[in-house]
Amino acid sequence: MRVPYSYLREQFADSEPILRDIKGLLESTQFTLGPPVAEFEERFARLCGARHAIGVGTGTDALFLSLKALGVEPGDEVITAADTFIATAGAIVQAGARPVFVDVLDDFNIDPGKIEAAITPRTRALLPVHYAGQPAKMGPILDIARRRKLPVVEDACQAISAAIDGKLVSNFGVAAGFSLHPLKNLNVWGDGGVIVTNSPELDATLRLLRNHGLKNRDEVEIFGYNCRLDSLQAIVGNHLIRDTESITAARIKNALALDAGLATLAPRVRVPKRLPNERHVFHLYMFEADDRDRLLAYLVEREIEAKIHYPVPLHLQPAGRRLGYKEGDFPVAERQAKRIITLPVHQHLSPSQVQFMIDSVAAFYRQR
Amino acid sequence: MRVKYMDLPRQFEDGTVVARVIDEFKRCQFVLGPQVAEFEGRFARACGAAHAVGLNSGTDALFFALKALGVGAGDEVITAPNSFVASAGAIVMAGATPVFVDVDAEYLMDPARLPDAITPRTRAIIPVHLTGNPADLDAIEAIATPRGLPVIEDAAQAVGAAIGGRVVGSIGTAAAFSLFPLKNLGVAGDGGMLTTRSRELFDKVMLYRHHGLRTRDEVEIWGYNSRLDTLQAIVADAVLDGLEAVTAARIRNAAFYDQALAPLAPHVVVPPRRRGVRQVFHTYVVQAERRDGLRQFLESRGVETKIHYPIPIHLQKAAAGLGYKRGAFPVSEAQSERIVSLPVHEYLTETEQHYVVDRIEEFYRR
Repeated sequence: MRVPYSYLREQFADSEPILRDIKGLLESTQFTLGPPVAEFEERFARLCGARHAIGVGTGTDALFLSLKALGVEPGDEVITAADTFIATAGAIVQAGARPVFVDVLDDFNIDPGKIEAAITPRTRALLPVHYAGQPAKMGPILDIARRRKLPVVEDACQAISAAIDGKLVSNFGVAAGFSLHPLKNLNVWGDGGVIVTNSPELDATLRLLRNHGLKNRDEVEIFGYNCRLDSLQAIVGNHLIRDTESITAARIKNALALDAGLATLAPRVRVPKRLPNERHVFHLYMFEADDRDRLLAYLVEREIEAKIHYPVPLHLQPAGRRLGYKEGDFPVAERQAKRIITLPVHQHLSPSQVQFMIDSVAAFYRQR
Repeated sequence: MRVKYMDLPRQFEDGTVVARVIDEFKRCQFVLGPQVAEFEGRFARACGAAHAVGLNSGTDALFFALKALGVGAGDEVITAPNSFVASAGAIVMAGATPVFVDVDAEYLMDPARLPDAITPRTRAIIPVHLTGNPADLDAIEAIATPRGLPVIEDAAQAVGAAIGGRVVGSIGTAAAFSLFPLKNLGVAGDGGMLTTRSRELFDKVMLYRHHGLRTRDEVEIWGYNSRLDTLQAIVADAVLDGLEAVTAARIRNAAFYDQALAPLAPHVVVPPRRRGVRQVFHTYVVQAERRDGLRQFLESRGVETKIHYPIPIHLQKAAAGLGYKRGAFPVSEAQSERIVSLPVHEYLTETEQHYVVDRIEEFYRR
């Protein structure tokens, strides 16, 4: 049975309504920061239960612009998790600052117990990642931030609709960055990103920064960037945002089924502990597995498109080693990099595909 | 009669672009799909450049060219003060300081003033092909090359322009193009292209635009996320088919104005036209007496005009920290109070052009 990782063809099998709106856009030609962008920003803010949403070019730029709006500059340090997608650290470097990594917990998110030790006089912000859709431990993180007077920017690129005790991500820090990349839970037909904030000052600064610093057509308030969510992508977003809740529910349902099926395979398979007060939205379904590489090969051979997010932690990448990091700096992240595996968990999976994945993992360990 | 400054809806009204988007989109390869590489190949050939890279914007194309050349904090980069703000913005993005050189009667960087702006910290020169008119790259390179300074063409407004047989985008070390909707080659959102003859620069920019990823799992350098959307590449490819016709129409419209407005001097001053240069007229800019009154009058007669741009970059609030004062660039400053952009787009009819010229005449007769 084929279990593909990508589901875009299924998701967009009937795209007539979206294409109709795109045709309308080509007639109106309001391609740049047109009405669809404002509409999408309003819907997105509402979905997050936050005051402001600003459409930008990418999730990476959402993080970068948030850091710039907070005044992060060369010579500064920003603390983030050792295992994340490259763009989290890339955004810090883009802002001219140095990424300072902190090891992670078994849930793949930053370990609050290790943050204080990473803070220096040059630390300018904390950038926890809600990795895979699992919210980071925001309670303890915010305690540290308050004590050390540091702003928190949430990397929520993978975590739309995730929550802790009913409080949605993006409402913990001063700003949060989201990605609308085609493989995200809320996706568009190309690159796109959103910044969410409850601060009117940050909102105003970010709107300048994303559009060349232009206050109006002719007046340049500050030097900025060109980093706008396309109206065309906002149109796609306006259609898909209606489905975010049902997509999220489907992913959670699939994940719970996988959790139950894989639980019996412990200790060879280790699924992170799920806490009832945390809403994990399963952009990725990740767990640790013994003999990971052979399991991956076995699953791929059975046409299950399993993946690894990611096999080499950032600090051990050529780009990370140049910052002075080495093997052994983050033992948990390093151990996980050798053991993690990601299974398809998307909303277009059938119950039999989910069962087939469970059976296949079980079969792999049985045959050995 | 109503004469619109630009008639974007016409660009897509025959439905071919929509049909292409719908057809190609079924491949669902939204990020760096094969259509991006196809368009890059065609664009490079159109510019006579060895390489072209699709990016999120023309601003990013300038920024990446600077980054790839190693420009950073403490460096200076020279450009023109009368451009769109992004020419200077990209320099600031790279951490460097923009240094301006005043322009000539054609609104282009004046090579005679360039040597005075060069300091030991100068790391690159960004002449702007403003309005679609190529800057005097022969004179600029004669100054830059002996000093080892790379020239980056700001060709955001100038796709298809040429100096003799040399097409812009193939002349400097690198060139930046914008695919912004109002450009001669415009897409349905943001997009930009970088061209270069340097394999090394090309390799770096390919890494920059995609997180520094050598492969899915290997991060060679810290990068950025700035990719031309596949959907926009599909639009660009369709629009590129018509680019020569668009350019020819704009050149024809400009030639009409040149001739018809000549008798209105000194009320209206058409810039001198160099021989042997192909201007592509992204904008058609003349200097006019009582400019604001003229614009108001034309507006009341249904003729839309614009100003590109009313405030020179060095007098913007954003530039306050750079230390320039009014009077620093007298030519740019004087022009900013006199310039007006007339409609020159490819859908303009001869009747409409006559109407525009007649109304201008009427204004100065009164």
